Amino acid sequence: MSDKYTVSRRRFLEALGAGTAFGFLGSMGAFSYTPLRNRFLPDKPKGTTDIGEVKKLTITCISETSWFDNDILMNDMDDMGGLLVNQWTYPWPPEGKPNNPRGDLHPENAGGYAALLDIELLNGDHKFILLDTGWEHGWTDQRFKECGIDKMLKNNEIDCLFISHEHFDHFWGLPVTMKYKPDIDMYIGGDFYPEGKQFIKDSGFKGKLYEAKSKTRHLFEIKDKNGKTIPGVAGYYFPVAIICRVFGEQSIFVNVKDAGIVQVTGCCHQGILNFAEAAYTTLKGGDRPYGVYGGLHISPFEDWDPKYDDLVFGLGKYGFQKIGCNHCTGVLCARKFVEAGYPVVQGTARFRSKTTDFLGNGDVIEFP
Amino acid sequence: MSEISAESSTRPAEGGSPKEGYDYGTNYLEERKLVGRWPAPWPQIVSLIFLAAIFYISWWIFQDPRGVMRMYTPYVGYMYTRWILIVVIWMVYIFDYYPFKRKWLEETHPALKGLIMTAIMVVILLVLIHGFFFELMGKLSMTYFSVERTMDLGITRFYAKEYACLACLMFAAIASWLSPSWPACFDNRPWHLLKQPSRGVTILVVTFFLSTLIYLCTMHSHMAILYYPWQEYCAVTAPWWFEFAGTVSGNFHVSWIMCCTVVLWIYETIWERWPFSEIKNERLRGYATFFGIVAIAFCCHFGFYFMQELAWGPAIMGDRRLWAPDWRWLHVGEIMVFFLVPAMFITFYCNNWPQKYSKVTNWLIRNGITVVAGIALYAVYYLTAHHFLGVQQEMSHPQQFPMIPTIWFINIMLIHNWFMDNWPGFKKVRKEV
Repeated sequence: MSDKYTVSRRRFLEALGAGTAFGFLGSMGAFSYTPLRNRFLPDKPKGTTDIGEVKKLTITCISETSWFDNDILMNDMDDMGGLLVNQWTYPWPPEGKPNNPRGDLHPENAGGYAALLDIELLNGDHKFILLDTGWEHGWTDQRFKECGIDKMLKNNEIDCLFISHEHFDHFWGLPVTMKYKPDIDMYIGGDFYPEGKQFIKDSGFKGKLYEAKSKTRHLFEIKDKNGKTIPGVAGYYFPVAIICRVFGEQSIFVNVKDAGIVQVTGCCHQGILNFAEAAYTTLKGGDRPYGVYGGLHISPFEDWDPKYDDLVFGLGKYGFQKIGCNHCTGVLCARKFVEAGYPVVQGTARFRSKTTDFLGNGDVIEFP
Repeated sequence: MSEISAESSTRPAEGGSPKEGYDYGTNYLEERKLVGRWPAPWPQIVSLIFLAAIFYISWWIFQDPRGVMRMYTPYVGYMYTRWILIVVIWMVYIFDYYPFKRKWLEETHPALKGLIMTAIMVVILLVLIHGFFFELMGKLSMTYFSVERTMDLGITRFYAKEYACLACLMFAAIASWLSPSWPACFDNRPWHLLKQPSRGVTILVVTFFLSTLIYLCTMHSHMAILYYPWQEYCAVTAPWWFEFAGTVSGNFHVSWIMCCTVVLWIYETIWERWPFSEIKNERLRGYATFFGIVAIAFCCHFGFYFMQELAWGPAIMGDRRLWAPDWRWLHVGEIMVFFLVPAMFITFYCNNWPQKYSKVTNWLIRNGITVVAGIALYAVYYLTAHHFLGVQQEMSHPQQFPMIPTIWFINIMLIHNWFMDNWPGFKKVRKEV
């Protein structure tokens, strides 16, 4: 062989290395965004966990007005340094909370989020879950009285308190619930910060505390006041990071007979479609989403991002038949949902709720 | 004295530059040789500690949500981070340190140079952001650049600032790819014979114009749909990339633009302009380099998206966080920046180690080190950043922007190397070209 065709081992390896590097880069571009890639992507399995069924779910919106003026709340957050500042360092009410005991920053703007789930079982019995416990104590107490929650708590009619997440507007009204029923069983997420756990102690809690597993997506049972699992109902923990240095949100699935799965949320920081996908891959019958209740955390401050338009486009294929959104869904988002033809349930704009575009304080929604 | 020296740039000296151009910093980076004050690896270790200290102190003062100014809102801090990068690039790469004289650059103490040039950078930064974008553009052209005008239309103060800063930072992201492209790909041609500041002004105007064009075709539609109803008479809505990208978000463009920026800088640093430097024809080399970098960037753009699909399953339109197409595109850009940090360190502080093998072997080893170090940095960041940077846990949190600390660190490296000659770990000696 002629010398000019001779390739040294080093030259060969160099060419092999450089060719592999550029070939890898090239194949990343040529292959990875074509339909061919689908053969490498896993199938989505349907869920098999049977949680049972309920006859009917009725939800009363105790309060969805977590704050009354967006500008005031957002200016507070702006002044404190933005969306990632630890909520426990804010001088918002209530006074005496861990980390920053001050509570004098715009107490008049603080409201809270809470809802009552009335679950009618197949045998006609009723179970009650209090979802979240508001924020400002005066407002929370007022709404509890106006909805009869105070009496239900005193009479031991409510099976448990289910705290969706550690945010101020869902959790800092805990002393109000404790005032009426300190030994109520309570469900919290698996990643509460030390301040949150201290707050539970300081609030006088004496009941049984069910804590989700830390940093793990999982389904879990919800028990009634006698310690028995409520059929047709399950909690699901999403270990997601949330603004104001909060971590984790848990939500509730209710399987309504002859209708489908109803997703009940506090703020749904995990995303409504993520929630629906969790039902699909976990629950038997999870491929039949029926309804939604709660904050969907889309435009809580009437802000917007194009990715929320993606949701407006993408929600349709899930086929929800009843959307009872409010709170951090944002009025703007609710309007876009209606424009897109989704079945958003209108509200009555009473008790300081400002819009009829979605369910407000004192409104009731039934599934089916 | 260390055997390992560090040079700031592989940029070859510009043939044909007029002698008058040397009045300023033309070819200063190429002719400067930085030599470690102690045997290796001590200069590198000292430099890393110095960089880390400056990074952490400045992060605490300016960015950290637990710190002093708390600009990581996140977009306010993100905007300043992006603009520091582009202004430093303009000062050094486009304007060749103009108006500083060559003698001053060579004789002034590095710390003093760093202070003075950083101060000037800050002045340019503030004039550009608050004068050009917020005042001129915001009040006379596009409302979303003006915090005040957006607030007057009913947006809360916080989001008015966030939206204006988002628009500003996206412009900077595009410019930070295009501005250095001119010297890196085209060796400043056809204006390479102009003296400073004429050359700098010309390239600035040309790249600013091109950046504006790309901004209008990409991010303007993103901004137009931030408001209700969609501003369909002033921008294309739904954005033209919607069906292809699976999202209306401009993050689709953030991805490929960041890929272009990172590939350009990797080409300029650890690749030492290989393989396009093999092309002898200058004009052909320029076009091949520019479009070759874009082609490689698009391979990364699609490839890293695919890798996320393999890791987390297909994206779902409208879903959030890990499953959101818009976040997946953004994360492609974030992944790329993690690779840029070690690449720049290898060039700035390790003299593009190794140098002793053939060009291709050196290239392969440097790439290998960069990939491994980039993956390690990625893992360390997501495991620990919430402890020491004050950012939120979880990689796909909506306010999780690893590009802010990584580019902040890169900014400090650029200032340290370009303005301060790697002081105190290194000292400058004259290198004959």
